[in-house]
Amino acid sequence: MNVELTGLVRRFGRTQAVAGVSLRVGPGVFGLLGPNGAGKTSLLRMMATVLPPSSGRMELLGRDPREHPQRREIRRRLGYLPQNLGYYPGFTVTEFVEYFALLKDMPPGQVPRAVAAAVERVGLAGKRKSRLKTLSGGMLRRVGIAQAIVNDPELLLLDEPTAGLDPEQRVAFRTMLRDIGERATVVVSTHLVEDIGAACTEVALMNQGGIVFHGTPAQLTARGEGSGAAGDAPLERGYSAVLAEARA
Amino acid sequence: MPEVNGPPDVDLSRVWTGVTAQVWARTPGPAERLAGRLLRSPGLARALVVTPSLLLGWVISTCAVLAAGILATAGTGTPWVALLEPAVAAAGIAYAYGPAIDPAWELSQSMAVSDRMVLLARALAVFGLNAALGLIASAASGAAVAVTFGWLVPMTAVCALALAAATLARSANVGVAAGMAGWAITVLAGRTLSGTVTAVVTTPALVLPYLAFAVCCGALVLYATRTPRGAI
Repeated sequence: MNVELTGLVRRFGRTQAVAGVSLRVGPGVFGLLGPNGAGKTSLLRMMATVLPPSSGRMELLGRDPREHPQRREIRRRLGYLPQNLGYYPGFTVTEFVEYFALLKDMPPGQVPRAVAAAVERVGLAGKRKSRLKTLSGGMLRRVGIAQAIVNDPELLLLDEPTAGLDPEQRVAFRTMLRDIGERATVVVSTHLVEDIGAACTEVALMNQGGIVFHGTPAQLTARGEGSGAAGDAPLERGYSAVLAEARA
Repeated sequence: MPEVNGPPDVDLSRVWTGVTAQVWARTPGPAERLAGRLLRSPGLARALVVTPSLLLGWVISTCAVLAAGILATAGTGTPWVALLEPAVAAAGIAYAYGPAIDPAWELSQSMAVSDRMVLLARALAVFGLNAALGLIASAASGAAVAVTFGWLVPMTAVCALALAAATLARSANVGVAAGMAGWAITVLAGRTLSGTVTAVVTTPALVLPYLAFAVCCGALVLYATRTPRGAI
């Protein structure tokens, strides 16, 4: 298992953002669904070793992130796309991706090839010399994805990766996710149910800090059958049914 | 990448990426190359050359303030360079690192190169540059030797205060305010107690208290930047 969480809790003052989450995730594409404020981003930030948990245990890639040398090893093998990707407006696309490749401690000799491959993979080769301040929101999201995959991560954490992408880019992105998921663990946090249906092998639904469903997209779809829950697609109806049940 | 077909034993995709990498490769500037050699980390060197208070605009501003200090010293006889430099350096230190001035802060926090190392490298680089510029300006202003070197230790203390305040408050502006206010209070208190404005940079008895204060602030920075272990 690449991700093992046991009773993970994160509090912000009196608010409990993540309430005792236990999860085991192996290679594949894992979707994290839930309404706004469900705790998806806090959970992802803890897995990205950016936010320490208030309590609970976490093991990533077989290592304990509380220990400095092990945390460093995890971070070398980690790809992370935060919800709000801050960027240096004066950097070009390749400079930005290269900067984070170097901060991930990649061997300098491997960096140019890795940067070229990542930028091409997200379809930004033609914009490689463009300053980030000149790019659209969707292109910036792709730059963020490029920096996340530049080190060929064993654990890829993506927070709302398809926000701002047009339909064609989203299709290409899901194909890329499935490809990466064949050898690595990809955790995708989203509130777009169609992303889950198209790319994920496993899905968890969060509500009020806890996990209220964990299974396959097909199992989530089945929960909506005959429930009369709202939704335009079978998976959406499953999502609504589970949420309604959790809130009841 | 364009779809091309080649001999079956040649991975054209790999060749293409290799060629692209060579064409796109960026040559680091001399400062980055030097930093990379000194720090033995290309990542840390790159993080250093994007430090806001080491960028050209900031360095030019620092030089302009110190040039004004040289002129004011020559015109009034008061060692303005010595009195200005600690505050200027404190502002530079406060603007070296932090969530408010680093747009990609969240991402940087998840990187293998430790953020504490980035903070340390940036703070030392800003301090070193300011010390060098200050010494040049102080010598150019024709100040006495005691004044020329006397402000280095107070500068260390004021920089440490600015860094600690910026780190604890997670705000560069708070760091600047703390550094400048702390230094202004010290100068005014020195003048009130001794009758001379240069007392804070020429009194040998103050060296140890300045250093002790700097150490305490440094300890606060280390504490604030530790990674909480979390509960088991």
